Amino acid sequence: MEVFHHLLFGFHVAIQPVNLLFCFMGVLIGTLVGVLPGLGPVAAISLLLPATFHAPPVASIIMLSGIYYGAMYGGSTTSILVNIPGEAASVVTTIDGYQMARQGRAGAALGISAFGSFIAGTLGVVGLAFLAPPLAGVALKFGPPEYFSLMILGLTVLTFLAGGSMVKSLMMACVGVIIGNIGLDLVAAQPRFTFGLDILLDGVGLVPLIMGLFGVSEVLLNIEEKLDKQAVFETKVKGLLPNRKDWRESIMPILRGSVLGFFLGILPGGGAVISSFVSYGVEKRLSRHPEEFGKGAIAGVAGPEAANNSATAGAFIPLLTLGLPSNAVMAILLGALMIYGMPPGPNLISAHPQLFWGTIASMYIGNIMLLVLNLPLIGLWVKILKIPYPILFPLILLFCLIGAYSLNANVTEVGLMIFFGLLGYLMKKFKYDGAPLVLAMVLGPLLDNSLRQSLLLSGGSAMIFFTRPICLAVFSVVIVILILPVLKLWKTPEDRIS
Amino acid sequence: MTALWSLKYGFGSLSEPGVGFITFFAGAILALLSLLLFLSSFREKEKPASLLELWAGLDVKKVLYVLLLLVVYTSLLRPAGFPLCTFILLFLLFRVKGSYGIWTTLFASFFVTAGCYLVFQVWLQVQLPGGILG
Repeated sequence: MEVFHHLLFGFHVAIQPVNLLFCFMGVLIGTLVGVLPGLGPVAAISLLLPATFHAPPVASIIMLSGIYYGAMYGGSTTSILVNIPGEAASVVTTIDGYQMARQGRAGAALGISAFGSFIAGTLGVVGLAFLAPPLAGVALKFGPPEYFSLMILGLTVLTFLAGGSMVKSLMMACVGVIIGNIGLDLVAAQPRFTFGLDILLDGVGLVPLIMGLFGVSEVLLNIEEKLDKQAVFETKVKGLLPNRKDWRESIMPILRGSVLGFFLGILPGGGAVISSFVSYGVEKRLSRHPEEFGKGAIAGVAGPEAANNSATAGAFIPLLTLGLPSNAVMAILLGALMIYGMPPGPNLISAHPQLFWGTIASMYIGNIMLLVLNLPLIGLWVKILKIPYPILFPLILLFCLIGAYSLNANVTEVGLMIFFGLLGYLMKKFKYDGAPLVLAMVLGPLLDNSLRQSLLLSGGSAMIFFTRPICLAVFSVVIVILILPVLKLWKTPEDRIS
Repeated sequence: MTALWSLKYGFGSLSEPGVGFITFFAGAILALLSLLLFLSSFREKEKPASLLELWAGLDVKKVLYVLLLLVVYTSLLRPAGFPLCTFILLFLLFRVKGSYGIWTTLFASFFVTAGCYLVFQVWLQVQLPGGILG
C-alpha cells in the first residue's frame, strides 16, 4: 500500500508542466535517435547532457531517461522498414521485421512492435516501482567489499557480453579505470597522471569522452564509407492495428520478453541488447513453428521488442538503489546524477523521493506518449529516414562541439573530445569496444575508494573478499566468467569451430 | 608504463593502500592482457589483415580532412568567435559528401549557424565566444 502512496506522489511530481514537457522532449528525441541509424541513445544522451545543466535536475533525469527507453521504440522502425537497426538493441528485429515488410506486413510489424514495447515498458516500470525500495533496504547492509565485488562483476559481465574479443574488452576496462583515476586523489589530494596540466586536476570529463568516443567516432566511420542511398522499403504502411491472429501469436512472447528483459536488465553488464537476443532464442525454441523464424514470424519481432523495453526499466534498479550502473547509458546517468548533486545509492529514495518516484511515474506517462507518437507518426519517421547523411553529419558534429564547449566554456574540452573521437574511430577499426571503457571510467574512482576502504577494514587482508558471503558468491561468478574465454583463446581455430 | 608510473605516486601497502595502488594493478593487468593478445595472434592460422586492408576501398582522406577542420575550428573558436567559425565550418562540412550548389550551401550554413546561436546563446544562455563579430 505504501508503494501506491509513493506512486501517487510520483505522479504529482511527473505531471508538473515542466516535467511533462521534458518527458515529452525526451521520448520524442529518443524515438528520433532510435529511428536514425548511427546515432544511439548513448551518443544522444551525451550530446544533450550539457543542455540539462540549465534545467531542474528532476526534469533533466526524466528527459534523459525518456531518451533511453524512447530509442528502443524508435529503433524498430528502421529495422523493419530499412533492414538497418536504428540502435543495437533492434538488431534482432531486422531478422523477421524486415521480412514481414517485404511480405506487405510492415504495418503489423510496426504495430505489434509498438504495442509490445508499451506493454513491456509498463510492466517493467511496475517491477521497478515494487522491487527498487526493498532492494535499497538490502543495499544499506552492503559495505565497501560488497560494492567492490559488484563493480568487478559488472565490469566482467559487460566485457564478457560485449561483442568481439573478451581480452580486448578487459583491456578497455583497464584503460577506463586508469582514465577514471586521472586527477586529484580523493584521500591524499595528490595529483595522479595530470602531467602538470591544470585542466586534468578535475579528471577527464565524462561528457567530452563519451561524445568523442561514441558521437564523433561514429561520424568519422560513416564519412569514410562510400554510402549509397538507403533504400527505404517503398510500401504503403497500412493496417497498424494488429489483428486477432497477430495478438494470439504475439501475446505470450511479449509477456515472456517482458519478464526476461526486466531481470536481464538488472544484471550488471546486461541490458537491452542482450535481452533482445536471448528473447529471440527463447521464442524460437518454444515456437511450434521454429522454421518460420527468419522468414517473417511475428513472434520474432514481438518478443525481442518487449524484452529490450522492459530491460530499460530493469537497468534503473541497480543504478538508483545501489548507485551501480549496469551499462554505458546508466553510467552516463550516474555521472549526471553526481553532477546534479544527487548521488544515487540506497539513500536516494529517502533523500530525493521526488527524483525517484517522479522518474518512475514519468516512465508510465512516457510509455503512453511513445505509443501515441510511434503509430500515427510512422510517416514522419519514414521521411526523416530519408534525410541525406551529408546534411545530417555536420549537424551532429556541431552539436558535439557546442556540447563540449558549453560545459566549462573551455576549448580544451573540445580538443579533448576530438582526441577521443579519433581514439574511438581507431578503436572501432581495430575492434575494441568503447562500452567497457566508459563503465570502467565512471566506476574507477568508486572502485579505488571501495578497494582501499575494504583493505583498511581488513587490516590489509585480501581474504575479506572471500570470507564475506556476498563477496564470495560474486567473485566465484567473476572467476568462472574470466576462465571460460581464456580456455577458448588457447584452442586452435579448428577446435573452436568444432 | 602506467604500472611503473603508479609506483612513483606510492603503492603503499595492503593495509594502507597508496595513491598509485589501483592504477598499478590496472596497468599491470593491461600489460599482461596485451602480452596474451600478442602471443595468441601467433596461434591464428589465418593470415591477419594488413594495416592498409583496414582502410581498403574507404575514403580515409575525408576523415583526415574533417579532423583537420575540427582542430582548426577549435583553435580559432575563441579569437574568431562562434558565429564566424561555425558558418565557415558548416559550409565546408556540407560540401564534404554533398554535391549542393554554393548558394544553397551558403544559405544552409547561415541559417543553421543563426539557429544554433539563438537556441544556445539566447535561449539556453550558453556563453559562446563572440570573437570578431561579437
